[in-house]
Amino acid sequence: MPASRRFAIQFCAILATLLVWQLSVSAGFVNADLLPTPTIVGDRVIALLKEPRMLYNIALTSAEVLIAFAIATPLGVAIGMFLGENAYFGTAFKPFFYFFASVPKSVFLPVFILSLGIGFTQKITFGIFQMIFVLVISAIAAVDGVPRSLVTIARAYGASRRQLYLQIYVPSMLPVIVEGVRLAMIFNMTGVLFAEMYVSHAGLGHMIQIWGMRFDLPDLLAGIALATILSVAVNETLRWYERRVGQWRL
Amino acid sequence: MATVRDNAQTRQSTQTWDLYVDNVSEVFQSGAGKVHAVDEVSFGVEEGKFIGLVGPSGCGKSSLLLMMAGLLRPTSGRVVIRGKDIKEPIPTEVGVVFQESSLLPWKTAVQNVEFPLHLRGISKVERRREALAMLELVGLKDFADRRPHELSGGMKQRVAVARGFCQDPRILLMDEPFAALDEQTRMTLGDELLRIWEQHRKTVVFVTHSLTEAVYLCDEVFVMSARPGKLVGHMVIPLGRPRTYDMMATEAFGKLRDEIWRLIRTS
Repeated sequence: MPASRRFAIQFCAILATLLVWQLSVSAGFVNADLLPTPTIVGDRVIALLKEPRMLYNIALTSAEVLIAFAIATPLGVAIGMFLGENAYFGTAFKPFFYFFASVPKSVFLPVFILSLGIGFTQKITFGIFQMIFVLVISAIAAVDGVPRSLVTIARAYGASRRQLYLQIYVPSMLPVIVEGVRLAMIFNMTGVLFAEMYVSHAGLGHMIQIWGMRFDLPDLLAGIALATILSVAVNETLRWYERRVGQWRL
Repeated sequence: MATVRDNAQTRQSTQTWDLYVDNVSEVFQSGAGKVHAVDEVSFGVEEGKFIGLVGPSGCGKSSLLLMMAGLLRPTSGRVVIRGKDIKEPIPTEVGVVFQESSLLPWKTAVQNVEFPLHLRGISKVERRREALAMLELVGLKDFADRRPHELSGGMKQRVAVARGFCQDPRILLMDEPFAALDEQTRMTLGDELLRIWEQHRKTVVFVTHSLTEAVYLCDEVFVMSARPGKLVGHMVIPLGRPRTYDMMATEAFGKLRDEIWRLIRTS
């Protein structure tokens, strides 16, 4: 199916969904207090984006997510590469990361609150904690996936250690790492928003919690819409980048 | 006819050889005990000769090639290239071509060919020029901007050969470069390799399983036994150059092939 056709179908599907939503509420099939129409939600989104306090909250959450990403990614890749290349430490600590990756990290939130409070630092640390396990696992897989034959050929042609890493390891590992970052970012954003909803002074998650408690459906859905737009934007950017650096993996 | 000599040539000094393997052994520990992959092998290669190294699987010929390339240290003995002990790769003197999948998949053909020059810090303009010339030599100039996944097996190996020739090394080490290809492509590439080699007359060490390939391509053939890998024979191939397909049908060719097989079988 050509891309233009696919796009047209998807666009129509979204439009149809919005129409059904709009009509079922305005016709009275669904209680407008429980589910505001898309037009009302859309208006609220725009209104919120004009409020300085909302922009501050969005910026705060974004900052927490981005800083957690900036710290966790190099850290996770470094740990993963070390565990992947070192037989002893690898055997000792790889199982820890594999098992722990499947534990729902949210249950640790009270520990973070008790030790770090409820502010900016705690959210970032929690975000790092959410990301690190998937990152390490991806980095281990990435380093294992570097073809030995390419390392040999580079050495045969006189590559220094630094050149080996930059010319062979990095391009080979990049697609796997980016995919790992993409998944880890989902955990990151989930974790940060959850921490904000649980207890926080500020942030998008905090506002969503307040709106929920106030039964303020239009703002609540608007907040959810904003969170959705931001996380989809992050996810799709990373997917695009992963496709770009992984083109050769066919 | 073929002359079968033993390791008598080892008594000559290392200075006369372009490449000299001096009593090299490779021994390692495995679960079952000590494994002698290579067992006190010595031979010399003259400058400008096309040498074959044949033997059964696991006879250590690939290990020998890695040692010649400076990628593997022998357990004992040494490899001498132009009077210098080889302890690490010398890419300016020695080029390598391995079996398939040694091209960087994220680089284009021309980027792959210029890779050794890139590692050496040669300027982009110069290395691009060199690489394109090499691609033209192997007949792939029009595929310069293709990636390996867009090329056939034969084309990929031609790019690998172009890369091997690219830095103009004196010595070219080739480890079963055509082994993964179908027979027709093998024969075509074998001819192409000889054609390029005739122009530049590098010293070539060509490891192969194929006895036919060894007799067809080489000036001399060294024969190794199965593990422990010892040198069991050295044959000179007296066929004229350039080699042609008709030679393969001659009685002389068949006798040479059979002699190699006999040496392997009886070792």
